[in-house]
Amino acid sequence: MEDTLERIQSVIISASTKARGSSIAFRRQRNPTRPAASWITTSRIGNSTGKALSVVFSTIGCSHARGESGGCTMCSYLLDGTSVPPSAAELVEQFAAAMSKLDDEEAPLSVKLYTSGSFLDSEEFPSEAMKSVLETIAQDPRITQVVVESRPDYVTESNVSLLRSILGYRHIEIGIGLESMNERVRMLCVNKGFSSDDFEQALLTAKQQNIGVRAYVLIKPPFMTERDAILDSVLTVRQSAALWASTVSVNPVNIQRHTLVEQLWTDGLYRPPWLWTVVEVLKRGHSEIPQETNLVCDPVAAGKARGAHNCGRCDQAVIRAIRDFSLDQDPKSLEGLDCECKTDWEHVLAHEDVSLYVHSDRHEGR
Amino acid sequence: MSIFRIERGHDGPARIGRLTLDELETSTPSLAGPPQEESHWLTYSVYERSSSSDSAASMIALPTIFASHDETDTLTHKSSLVLLPSIPGSSSLGQEMAELLLSWQLGFLRERPKSVPPQHCVVRIPVGIDTVLLKEYLSQFSELGVRSASFLLNSELGSDDFSSVKLRSAIPRNWLAIALGRIDPHLLPLLIYLGFDVIDIGRAFSAAAKNVRLWQVTNEKVLEVDHQRFCSCRHCISIDDFGETARDNRLETLTGHNIDMYRQVMSESISKMHDGQLRWLVESRTHASPSMTSLLRRIDREIYEFLEEFTPTIGQGVLPLIGPESYHSPIVRRFRERLVERYAPPPHKRIVLLLPCSARKPYSDSKSHRRFSRAIENGIGRSESSIAETIITSPLGIIPRELERVYPIAQYDIPVSGDWDTEETSIAVDALVKHLAKFSDEAVVLAHVSGGYQTIVNEAESRIKQSIIYTSSGHSTGSRSSLESLTEVLQDLKSKLEIRATEQKRLQDTLRSTADFQFGKGTGSLLIPDSAHLKGKLYHMVTCQVEEVQTCSFIGSSGALSLTMDGGERIAPLDRYVVRFEGAEIKGGSIFAVGVNEADPVIRPGDEVVVVGKDNTVMAVGKSEMSGPEMCEFEKGRAVSIRHKRK
Repeated sequence: MEDTLERIQSVIISASTKARGSSIAFRRQRNPTRPAASWITTSRIGNSTGKALSVVFSTIGCSHARGESGGCTMCSYLLDGTSVPPSAAELVEQFAAAMSKLDDEEAPLSVKLYTSGSFLDSEEFPSEAMKSVLETIAQDPRITQVVVESRPDYVTESNVSLLRSILGYRHIEIGIGLESMNERVRMLCVNKGFSSDDFEQALLTAKQQNIGVRAYVLIKPPFMTERDAILDSVLTVRQSAALWASTVSVNPVNIQRHTLVEQLWTDGLYRPPWLWTVVEVLKRGHSEIPQETNLVCDPVAAGKARGAHNCGRCDQAVIRAIRDFSLDQDPKSLEGLDCECKTDWEHVLAHEDVSLYVHSDRHEGR
Repeated sequence: MSIFRIERGHDGPARIGRLTLDELETSTPSLAGPPQEESHWLTYSVYERSSSSDSAASMIALPTIFASHDETDTLTHKSSLVLLPSIPGSSSLGQEMAELLLSWQLGFLRERPKSVPPQHCVVRIPVGIDTVLLKEYLSQFSELGVRSASFLLNSELGSDDFSSVKLRSAIPRNWLAIALGRIDPHLLPLLIYLGFDVIDIGRAFSAAAKNVRLWQVTNEKVLEVDHQRFCSCRHCISIDDFGETARDNRLETLTGHNIDMYRQVMSESISKMHDGQLRWLVESRTHASPSMTSLLRRIDREIYEFLEEFTPTIGQGVLPLIGPESYHSPIVRRFRERLVERYAPPPHKRIVLLLPCSARKPYSDSKSHRRFSRAIENGIGRSESSIAETIITSPLGIIPRELERVYPIAQYDIPVSGDWDTEETSIAVDALVKHLAKFSDEAVVLAHVSGGYQTIVNEAESRIKQSIIYTSSGHSTGSRSSLESLTEVLQDLKSKLEIRATEQKRLQDTLRSTADFQFGKGTGSLLIPDSAHLKGKLYHMVTCQVEEVQTCSFIGSSGALSLTMDGGERIAPLDRYVVRFEGAEIKGGSIFAVGVNEADPVIRPGDEVVVVGKDNTVMAVGKSEMSGPEMCEFEKGRAVSIRHKRK
């Protein structure tokens, strides 16, 4: 049986590699002095809300996606990166460009350092650049929270001590794409390439420096029914909170270009999760975790065909409720939502599980 | 304990069966859906994921491979079918993945022989898996005791649906076949025809949730249409306008209507199956959409052997063959092929007379054929046995007069407008060329045809060795001038070919040709040797006696021969249509499949068969109730209804 699972995994990896195809070779060469994206949102910062600056650095991209392992089945953030690695100085310049957006904002502020890969991977983000970026933040007293993202491999003792020593008293979180606590789901459905143990180890390492881990939980990787997805995400939320993750961020799959998920979606074999599913995960997840753990969700492409969506009529109201809940952590925000399509979703939950027929959007339209 | 037993009666691969799950007994074909109050179907739910009220479900699905499900101990206490774990949405990942899914299910069963009894288990057949590979795995599942398989349909009627249908034809004949997925009502007759025993109606619920009302062939989005259709069903009758109906009421109404639509189509299909007219229903549904038509064409082309094996060789009532969807139906194609293989013209035929078919069947009862018959008699008198009357028709090709009562020649009904499409023409041309090749080059072909029939003869001409004389130049074949011309030509030929008055051979020709058609070439002269004494009136009943012992009789109403014990003994040495019975003695009026390990694979339901015992002697003759391969594979069920047995 284990042998069969390994072979299933290798089929999925080769399908994922094939779906990615030559897309990486045709990556754009970006302006190395500008970030791929940066924006400001209202965000949960500690126990209150404030403005958060998110910066997506333009780098050569995630080591897992760059490598031979095929990358994750749903992710093509790699394509946001640039084909030529920016120098340390250029990365610092990217950060300065983004930071200027915070000029008129007031405390508390949060800065989120994203790279579409691992901020802590020195191959992707040279150490000089990392230090310089962190030092810039350290000089700004308005910033009380810093979030970086990394695969667990790079959450090393030296890296976490560096973060702590430069950022001092600030609340620090490392976002790790745990995706699922179920080993099969993470390794096969997502092709994530690291184990639960790797994740737990990273968590312990971070904890030594009083650095929190923000666990990213993926809602509905491919090859799962809608109900599988709910059960798996709720369990993952609960278990990662039990492991002392400081924040759990649930992320419904969205259809990115040149991914296995996109190919399945095109073939009518995958549907992004319903927003009802997201609501369900948040409701159940919230009731099963300690109060001090934040449970947040900012669904990408929500309400669109490529993102988590419902019937089209209720999407905006449900998305608003999800965002409200993420800010206030009040389950009442998720109450009172209703729409005719909820019946359809309930049917899908039951029927897909029995028949394994994928209720895609192909037939009746949205 | 779960037992699936196939009962008597076939209409194509469609069959009536009985599924026993402890105390629950369901006759199949049956619908399957989620549990509801008063559900008229097999219910399904997911292991440990459903409310406690679902735990009585008759089918329990195990969660997918990626979900953990180590605690399956409680399954032994249930009497449900168990759907084995698989992976959704993986059909595009190719053969290797498909094979791994089977391999996983097999491993799963082998690791849990106690908690998951194989005889309850349903293998989920991966969409698109190679048939040969599937068969290899199925024999392993069979050895473990598995007797059911499920298939995934999506109603897109494309390659996935075709794949599932084709794979269904590859499972052992005595397995229960379950169709899951999205199945629109118009697909039901086809699925039942193809031998699916359980059909998922989940679509009734999802359509209702989307405000879609399902009809036999079409769907109606009740909130979007300009004109809501009238429905007199018990659910819809109280609704004037769905747009003004409260949501709960609308949902309940549409769900009720949709479920009833499945029940209605199911019941119609079963009723047609009992009448032997399910194929007609299937053909009529091809007009639901072009893709439905293509799907049936592809099925006819690619799994003909499967369809044909279960198609009875006898039938009652009219057999409508309406359009191109009938041209390659198993009954029609089998007739054409058997005619080529099994018919040999009697040696005394010197003139081949080509005639048009008649709307009325059998042909010789029609006005037009009675006129032909008079013209022939006027022309050639008592030498009419030297004429091979040959009827051209669509889509069966050509029919020798001797076989005009054979099934389905006396039963088929086609639209008679005189227009032939290209395919019909080419089918007839091909049949005609092959038929005439069986006659000597010296035979004279008279073509008493006009219109489309004449086009066929014209088109065939270059591939025909014999000389052809047209006897109704330009006029209708039934017109006085044409008939007179036919008479004159025959008179001419009679003297030119020096045809003498011969003894009347009509009875012998008919019985021998029928025997050859029924049992294969060469059986005619064994059952009806030259010394045979034939008694009776053709087209009522003719008995054949050899030295005072009857060998067989010809029943005009069915166009078939029934054998006596002596007849059975005469053809038994050919080893055709022989069923080998393992028992010592036949008790009662039938033999059952459990007693048969060997039977001629050519045997079809409805065939006249010879039952041979272990000592190689004939024990009985009778009528088969199933196909030869079924008799060998089945552990249960009536194989042969005995007509005569050894005293």
